[in-house]
Amino acid sequence: MIATVVSIALQLSLVLLLSPLVSGIIKTLKARLQTRRGPGILQPYRELHKLLRKGMVIPESASWIFSAAPIVVFSTAALVSLMIPMISAAAPLSLFGGVLAVVYLLGLGRFFLALGGLDTGTPFGGLGSSREMTISALAEPAMMLAIFTVALSANSTNLSEVAHSAIGQSWRFLAPSQVLAFAALFIVLIAETGRIPVDNPATHLELTMIHEAMILEYSGPYLALIEWGAWIKQLILMTLLINTFYPFGLSTDMGLLNLATGCASYLLKLLFLSALVVLVETTNAKIRLFRVPELLAVAFVLGALALISTFLF
Amino acid sequence: MLSFIESLAHRLGGQVERVAARNEHEVYLQLRDADSRPAISILRSEYQGRVASVFAEDRRSADACFFVYHVIEFPGDPAYLLLSTRIDHTDPHFPSHSVDIPALNWQEREIQDMFGIQSDDHPNPRRVALHDNWPDVHPLRKEFSLTTVLPEFEGERHIYRPALGEGVFQIPVGPVHAGIIEPGHFSFAVAGEPILYLQLRMFYTHKGTEKLFEGMPVERAVFLAESISGDSSFSHGTAFCQAVERAGAIELPLLAARMRTILLELERVYNHVADIGAIATDVGFGIANAHASRLREMIFGLNEVLTGNRLLRGMVRVGGVRRAWNESQLSALRLTVHGFESEFRHLVDLIVSSDSTRDRLERTGVLRLEKARDLGIVGVAGRASGIDLDVRRDHPYAAYGDFEIHPPVYDGGDVWHRMQVRIDEVPASLNIISALLDSDLHGEPCTPFDRIAPDSCALSSVEGWRGEIMHWIRVGADNRLERCKIKDPSLNNWPALVEAVQGNIIPDFPVINKSFNLSYSGTDR
Repeated sequence: MIATVVSIALQLSLVLLLSPLVSGIIKTLKARLQTRRGPGILQPYRELHKLLRKGMVIPESASWIFSAAPIVVFSTAALVSLMIPMISAAAPLSLFGGVLAVVYLLGLGRFFLALGGLDTGTPFGGLGSSREMTISALAEPAMMLAIFTVALSANSTNLSEVAHSAIGQSWRFLAPSQVLAFAALFIVLIAETGRIPVDNPATHLELTMIHEAMILEYSGPYLALIEWGAWIKQLILMTLLINTFYPFGLSTDMGLLNLATGCASYLLKLLFLSALVVLVETTNAKIRLFRVPELLAVAFVLGALALISTFLF
Repeated sequence: MLSFIESLAHRLGGQVERVAARNEHEVYLQLRDADSRPAISILRSEYQGRVASVFAEDRRSADACFFVYHVIEFPGDPAYLLLSTRIDHTDPHFPSHSVDIPALNWQEREIQDMFGIQSDDHPNPRRVALHDNWPDVHPLRKEFSLTTVLPEFEGERHIYRPALGEGVFQIPVGPVHAGIIEPGHFSFAVAGEPILYLQLRMFYTHKGTEKLFEGMPVERAVFLAESISGDSSFSHGTAFCQAVERAGAIELPLLAARMRTILLELERVYNHVADIGAIATDVGFGIANAHASRLREMIFGLNEVLTGNRLLRGMVRVGGVRRAWNESQLSALRLTVHGFESEFRHLVDLIVSSDSTRDRLERTGVLRLEKARDLGIVGVAGRASGIDLDVRRDHPYAAYGDFEIHPPVYDGGDVWHRMQVRIDEVPASLNIISALLDSDLHGEPCTPFDRIAPDSCALSSVEGWRGEIMHWIRVGADNRLERCKIKDPSLNNWPALVEAVQGNIIPDFPVINKSFNLSYSGTDR
């Protein structure tokens, strides 16, 4: 009991502290690749600090949904983050069937975010929400297929068990099914975190926005919760990619040395994945909105092939 | 002087009251009748004339009437024809040409708003330059004092065409936008993501610039001309000074002509480079913009060395330029221009080799030739749609007469080709500068001038980086301006946006808009 509480507390604080940093690292790497200096990797913390101190402007046309959305977005993301293995193969929580709950809790957060965008009745919020739902309706099945591929070979949808079963088999990550599933989930990561080529997180052009358009009306602490929730979600998806496909280094017990190596390898892999995301984001332009479904169809097909190939190889 | 003016006067016969050539750049032809429609129809159909602009002048104190001028250019002839008609001041009205020449739509309505001269049979006679809630005043009439304090605005706001139909929504954008761009209202009717139609509302930054010119000494007015549109400071300043020089028959020293040409081309280069980067940004290809910003900064730095101002302000003056360049300034110019082309090539390669960028830009925001011709589109946007106009070649000024200008002309009419025109023009500009650097850049920078004969008037045009800039001035007593008409290329080109976005999707609007990159300030004045 106490061990569970401690591990929950540890993982929650790690997630809350690390998620803005990952965002800062991505921004800084991107700036460096463009030969800009960038605002520094600590900028997301400063933004949180600023937003949490500020007052809020709530539109007159807003209902309770507008206020509920940031809380739901943040808390579902925080809850999900406790259900995935980070530095230890055992996740602190395992609720309602593991990976299924992960996908649908994230879906709940997204649902409320889209409602929040629609709630005020501004045209931009509506644009953003409709685009977000279009994209996630396609991203979600691709994500399920990719994760099922891994779950099938582990014979469990519990992410801790998936990680456990993967650690022993060191060459498994080169299996075709794994590579295909990784590629599918990587596309989903880009779509779900609103990155180029799907969405442009750095744009000021309201008409092109997806995620940013939904949250245009938010300010102050609510905006902080939404931003923080989005960063946590990004960290969750990256962790899923890292720890289900390349779990080496993951600590299998609570020994201090093992935890330390687990932590170090996790951070290293995170940095590597961030660099990959930055590379994709820098070398590509944003694709036309109507071609996003094509990209996600690719992810879906990759996921389906991965699932099939688990039975073949 | 127009080569065919005699045959033309003969053809128009009894309609002509007076023909006068004030200088080699323009011919004035006054019509006997207030109805200019027959004459303009002959000029367009038989002489392939293009009506470039229309404007009015309040001459009630001198001639007891208003004048309306149509500026017409003819292919292959460097002189402009200014067709003027007397407008009776008791019941002022003039015939509208907008049905035949949609390009004149806004300009005719502007005359209506500013002078209270009714435009007869205009298909859409609503207000344009002064918004609907302005009181009933006509600021460019002479009796309207600059110090007039208008009452609180009230009454009708502009009524937009409603978006009707199932699943059709209206998305209002602006007049206040994100970022640091100027105000303008865009009202989109959309069915899902595709745009059904766009309605534009400009003139939010109307500053009464043409009124401000009136009574201003010409030398001071140069600074006002430079601030008409910030990114075309030097072009507008030059257009204005050139008009004064033509009105006062002031000879431009060779050095000044060459220096002006160099600076005009530098203005073109920095704006084109910035636009190429901005187009890349709008499709999320940020790295190209980072590169382009660096290149633009190189030119800005050079501008500061050459003129003391990054936007080239304060350098042009009536009669020439403010000062000649010393050796160190010339070597800075030589050095930057020399290294610039290969750097620019890298930027272009980066964009051209990015498939995802090409995919966004090609066949996006197509403006077809017929529409561009009807709307009188000029400059970069016109050339990308197949309209072969370039003031530098058609009406040479400064030192452009010494060069053969071959403007790039494409018929694609999409965002890609508007960028391609810019890509082609940058090396051409650098070549002009290099050639001038090899010429003699010594001598007197400026011709002193004394008093310009009252009532002199002159037209001047400059190919700004966006396109054709026109200034028409009349100088009054004591070198003070009587009237200054300004036509920025943005005024012609804004309506093109409405046509180009049709059938495109909402998220592509910003990049289509950016590929035109029109000036709000220059339009609204």
